[in-house]
Amino acid sequence: MAGAKPALSALRAQIAALEAGTRTPPSVLPFGDPRIDGCFPAGGLPRGGWHEVGGAGLEEETSAAPAAFSALMLRPLAARGAVVWVMRRADLHAPGLAGLGFPTGRLIQVRARDEAEVLSVLEDALATVGVAAAIGEAESPDLKAGRRLQLACERRGATGVLLRRRPYGGAAGKIREVSGAAAQTRWRIAAAPSQPPPGLPGLGLPDLGPPRWRVELERCRGGRPGAWILEQAEAADGPHPFRLVSKLADHDVAAEAAPAPSVGFADSSPRGGAAPSVGFADSSPRGGAANAA
Amino acid sequence: MRFSPAVAIDGLDGLFLDVEGVSHLWGGEAAMLDDLLARLERWGAPARGAIADTPGAAWALARYAKDRTIAPTGGQAPLLAPLPVAALRLDEAAQAQLPRLGLFQVGQLLALPRAQLARRFGLSTVLRLDQALGAAREALVFRRPATPWFDRLAFFEPISALSDLERVTGDICALLCARLEAEGRGARRFELVFHRLDGKDQPVRAGLSRPGRDAARIAKLLKPKLDTVDPGFGIEVVTLWAAEVEPLSSAQRGLDADDIDLKGGVGLGEGLAPLVDRLVNRLGQDRVWRADPHQSHVPERAVVRRAPLDPPSEDAWDPDRPRPARLLRRPEAIEVTAKLPDDPPVQFRWRGKSRRVRLAEGPERIGQEWWRKAFDEAGPGKVRDYYRVEDETGERFWIFRAGLYGDGETVPKWWLHGLFG
Repeated sequence: MAGAKPALSALRAQIAALEAGTRTPPSVLPFGDPRIDGCFPAGGLPRGGWHEVGGAGLEEETSAAPAAFSALMLRPLAARGAVVWVMRRADLHAPGLAGLGFPTGRLIQVRARDEAEVLSVLEDALATVGVAAAIGEAESPDLKAGRRLQLACERRGATGVLLRRRPYGGAAGKIREVSGAAAQTRWRIAAAPSQPPPGLPGLGLPDLGPPRWRVELERCRGGRPGAWILEQAEAADGPHPFRLVSKLADHDVAAEAAPAPSVGFADSSPRGGAAPSVGFADSSPRGGAANAA
Repeated sequence: MRFSPAVAIDGLDGLFLDVEGVSHLWGGEAAMLDDLLARLERWGAPARGAIADTPGAAWALARYAKDRTIAPTGGQAPLLAPLPVAALRLDEAAQAQLPRLGLFQVGQLLALPRAQLARRFGLSTVLRLDQALGAAREALVFRRPATPWFDRLAFFEPISALSDLERVTGDICALLCARLEAEGRGARRFELVFHRLDGKDQPVRAGLSRPGRDAARIAKLLKPKLDTVDPGFGIEVVTLWAAEVEPLSSAQRGLDADDIDLKGGVGLGEGLAPLVDRLVNRLGQDRVWRADPHQSHVPERAVVRRAPLDPPSEDAWDPDRPRPARLLRRPEAIEVTAKLPDDPPVQFRWRGKSRRVRLAEGPERIGQEWWRKAFDEAGPGKVRDYYRVEDETGERFWIFRAGLYGDGETVPKWWLHGLFG
C-alpha cells in the first residue's frame, strides 16, 4: 500500500517533512510481509519512536509473551547497536532470548528501583549514541512521560519499546490507557497454539513447534490496526524474525466497513480538498491521526 | 586525609602521616603541624606531634621530645641522643635489660659498637636504631596507598551552598584531570571528599567503566550526588583522589556523547561508556549488567552477570536446550493431576488456573552440582526432570519434577520454573 502511487508517496513525504520539521524522516523496520507492513504509514515499524506492547490477563504480571515478541521484533536492530532493557523485576533470562536468536552480548540489563526510574533510565538510554533500541517495563506511564520518551527517541533515531507490566502483581484493572497517545503504535500480544512438527505420533504428547503469538496492532499512528498470528521464522524464511501464519479478520472488517475513530478522521481532514482526489480513499490517514494525537 | 593522602595507623594511639611534598600547601612544616594539632585538640583528641625524616625518629620525638619538634633534614641523631631508650620502640626484653646495664639514653646506645649491640640485645635493636636514623628502611602500612593522583582545594571561607559545591567540584576535577592528561593517564574511580569544619568527612564517589580524564564528564557524574553532602557549619577543604589510574592515549579524550555521532567512526563501546557510567553511578554497580554464559547445567547458575563493557565471553548457551524468556527466581509449586511416572502431567494448576497440556517436550534431566554441595543435598531426590509444555491457549511453561518416582515413600513434587514467551 505504501508507495503504491508516486504522486501520493511524494505528497506523503512532503507532509512528513513538514511534520518533522528539521528532523530527518525516520527509517522503518519492515516485517517483510506486505500484509503487516501495509498497516504502517511508511511500510514498516517506524524507528525513532516508541511502541507500547502489552499483554492480557496473567501476562500483565509475567509479561513473557510480550517480552519474547519485543525481543524478536527488535532483533534486527541489535545489529546496529546495543539494546538496553530496563526492568524492575530482574526475571529476564538471557538464555531464553538467545534461543530466540537475540544477540545477548549486546543486551545491557538495568534494574531500576521504581517506575519513575525505569522511565528516566529508558529516556536516558534512548538518547544515547550507540543504543539502537531500549525496552522498558513500566506499569502506566503518563502522557508527559510518553512525550519525553518520544523526544528522546527522536534525538538519535533509537527505537523504544515500553512493556506494560505490573511486575509484582497487585490489583488488576489499574492500568491506565492514556499513554498510548504518545506512542507510535500499541500492540497486544498473547500466546497462540503452535503447530507441532510433522512426524509420527509417539506414545506421549507431541513436541512443541516454533512459538506463535496472537499479535494485535491496536493502534498505529498514521496507519491502521491489524491482527495476525505470527510465528517465529526459521532461518530459511529470510532475514525477518516473523512469519505470518494467518491474518485475523476482525480488525480489517472493522477498519473497512465501519472505520474506527482514528482511521476515519482522515476523511474529514481539512486537507482532503487540497489534495489530489486520487489518494485519500485508500491512503493512510496520517494527518488525521497526527491531529488526533 | 585532609593533610596528606598517606596516613598509617600506629598502634592504638598514633598516626603516621607522610607529609613529603604536602607541607608547602600549609605554609611550611611548622605551620602545618600547628594546624594539625590545633584541630585534633578542637575535636577532642589532644595530641603531640613531630616531624622528622624517618617514621622512627618522628615517633620518638613526638613522644619523648618537646612537643612540635621538627627535625632538620638529616639531623635526627643530636635530637634523639638525649631521649630515653624507650623512644626506640624496642621489644620488651631489650627495653627491660638496657637500664639494668646503665644504658638510659639513646645517645649511649649510639656510642656503642654495633656488633656488640646486636649480639647482646638482638638484631631488632640495631634495626630500630637504624630505622630511627634513616639507615634502614621502614615500611608503613598506609590506610590507603600513597598516590600522586590526589588534589586538594582549601578555601579562605567555609562554603556550604550547593552551587558552591558544584563549582568547586568542577574546579578540582579540572585540576586533577589536567595532571592526568599531562602524564597521559586516565583513572576509573574518583573519590571527592568534603572536609567539614567539625572534622567530619563527606565522601562522594564516582566510577567510570573505562579510564577517563574528561573533567567535565567526571564532574557531571559527581554533581548529582552532591545533595547528599551535608555541609554542616561549612566545608573548608575539598580533596579529590583518583584510583585505578591507567595509561590512556590522548586520542581517547572527549568521549562525551554530545561531541560525537555514529558516523564519526566511534566504536560501539566508546559511545556507550558514558551511558553505562551514568547508570552505574546512579543505580549502583549491581543494577547494570550484561548476562554472559556460564558453564553450568543448573539453570539458575547458567548466567553470570558482567559489567556491560567487559570483553564478551567465549562461551555460549547450548541452542539445543531451550530456555524460557522469564525465569522465576523461586520455582512455584503446581498441582498436577493425572500423574504418570516419567511423563509430563496431562493437566496442572498454576496460580489458580487449570491448564491442559497440549504439547510437551522432555524430559531434560538436570542433576545438582554435587561437587558444590554435600552429597545428601545432591542425591537422587534432588534430580530435576524438566519439561517444556504448551497449554491449549499456546502459553508455554517450563516445569520440572523434583525427585524420582519409586525411590521411597516421598512423592515427587512438581514446580513451575519459567515462562517461554
